[in-house]
Amino acid sequence: MAYLIHLAILFSIYAMLGISLNLVVGYTGLLSVAQAAFYGVGAYVTALLMVNAGFNFFLAMLVGILAGALIAYLMGLVLSKFSGDFYALASLGFGVIGYSVFLNWQSLTNGPLGIPGIPRPNLFGFIFSDNLSFLVLVLLALVAVWAVARFVVNSSFGRVLKAIREDEKAIQVFGYKTLNYKLVIFVIAAMIAAVAGSFYAAYITYIDPTTFNVFASIFVVAIIILGGLASLRGSILGAAFLVLLPEFLRFVGFPDEIAAQMRQAVYGLLLVLLMLYRPQGLVGEYKL
Amino acid sequence: MSVLPQLIANSLIAAGTYALLAMGFNLIYGTTKFFNLAHGVMAAVGGYVVFWLTTSFAGMPIFAAAAIGVLGAGAIGAALNRIVYRPLRARKASNMVLLVASLGAFTVIQAVIAMIFTSQFQTLNTAASENVYQIAGASITETQVIILGSAVVVWALLMLFLKLSFFGKAVRAVSDDEEVAKIAGINTEKIMAWTFFIGSAIAGLAGVLIGFDTGIQPTMGLDLLLKGVIAAIVGGVGSVSGAILGAVLLGFVENFGIWKISGEWKDAIAFGLLIIFLIFRPKGIINK
Repeated sequence: MAYLIHLAILFSIYAMLGISLNLVVGYTGLLSVAQAAFYGVGAYVTALLMVNAGFNFFLAMLVGILAGALIAYLMGLVLSKFSGDFYALASLGFGVIGYSVFLNWQSLTNGPLGIPGIPRPNLFGFIFSDNLSFLVLVLLALVAVWAVARFVVNSSFGRVLKAIREDEKAIQVFGYKTLNYKLVIFVIAAMIAAVAGSFYAAYITYIDPTTFNVFASIFVVAIIILGGLASLRGSILGAAFLVLLPEFLRFVGFPDEIAAQMRQAVYGLLLVLLMLYRPQGLVGEYKL
Repeated sequence: MSVLPQLIANSLIAAGTYALLAMGFNLIYGTTKFFNLAHGVMAAVGGYVVFWLTTSFAGMPIFAAAAIGVLGAGAIGAALNRIVYRPLRARKASNMVLLVASLGAFTVIQAVIAMIFTSQFQTLNTAASENVYQIAGASITETQVIILGSAVVVWALLMLFLKLSFFGKAVRAVSDDEEVAKIAGINTEKIMAWTFFIGSAIAGLAGVLIGFDTGIQPTMGLDLLLKGVIAAIVGGVGSVSGAILGAVLLGFVENFGIWKISGEWKDAIAFGLLIIFLIFRPKGIINK
């Protein structure tokens, strides 16, 4: 049971990441491979403020979200000029830079050693120290994220995003400044990813740079492509599937070192097979 | 003593490895028009084939092992094309689908290498000491001379091959316009298969040489991919000679950059160069 709660918490965090990236990749048609950078910004800002400055979790998360938004805005200024494969490539580069900052800015992030001893959230004296109460909190956050994403994609703003995905030039002719739309959705997605990062830091209570490397971004891409692009339901399904999948590998009984590599290989293979046989994923309404 | 000669030497050596990666990448991009993100991991394949041969068959001549490593990387590249990319092209899949598939393939190959050989850093160079040459105040090892020589020889051979042979002309025809080449009776799939073999083999050569110069580890592919792609785009995407120019520029910018800034920021500097080019000259130095 305790283990199921653990998996449910991980699922909620990955589902938030999936929803955030789906806004950019699925709805706007821009393949970003940098989502782990914002996930990391949320986690690091929250962890540093809580450990070094004694911030409350919710306040620290808020600062983390703002930091994610600011960094995404600056990256987005460059990224939004591109589309298609150049966008993917440039975002991949940004993802690598993000990881290299977490790893090398040692005076701030403590480098490869990471940050231990991150406290659990505290709300008016109630501490979410047991996993069940933490699960309730993170599920509430997931519902909130889902509601925000749903509102965004169903709004007129969301319809412009889909139009950009289908034909950017055509929508420009109608006078829409597509660059601004691409920038705004990138920032919104980064803010949601930062929320996921904050919860991850407070749940695991320890973070190090490897959690936010390029493979984490590839993992999120796998979640949304498996679940289906431009489908919020799909991101939830994809996250559930990819959180449970390694558990089956565990039952087969590989040693730990091999198991981690095996997981990576399975995610990669899944991407290849999906591209070959089912590019729209489980319930997607758009394919690359 | 001035550090300048050594800096220039280091820049050129780095440029040599980047050029090897970028030439193969541009050759493949030229005919297939998609960003093959699995290109960098071919270097790791080459390096590990040599590592496996030299450790399990002691006494095997190094040159024989290196040749098998290079051919092995070429074979894996061609196999990947046959199993994954060719069926996708047959279905008229978009560049993004191919890009995601190559991302998946890269993840699988890297994980499989790590499973077989562990994630440890290994060096191929078993010799106790190496000849070090002093040239104009800079010291260069024998391996590094071979790296530089290989880059120049591979470039010269590729240019001769593309300009003079019938096959090379077919490669250029496919790069210019695949449809027209097909109408003219060129077997475009065969040409693409060979460019994959040759391009991947060159990447494998880079991996083997790096293995002798410093060492190999399963994750080396991503870093090499990014450097190769940056050199390829900065030089002029799809152009073999552009790859050389881009690699030289990248090598110098990177090494002169870390003269004043700490070496960990090499990747950030390299990526900064890419961003500047993407914004101001997206087609690269040689504008095809």
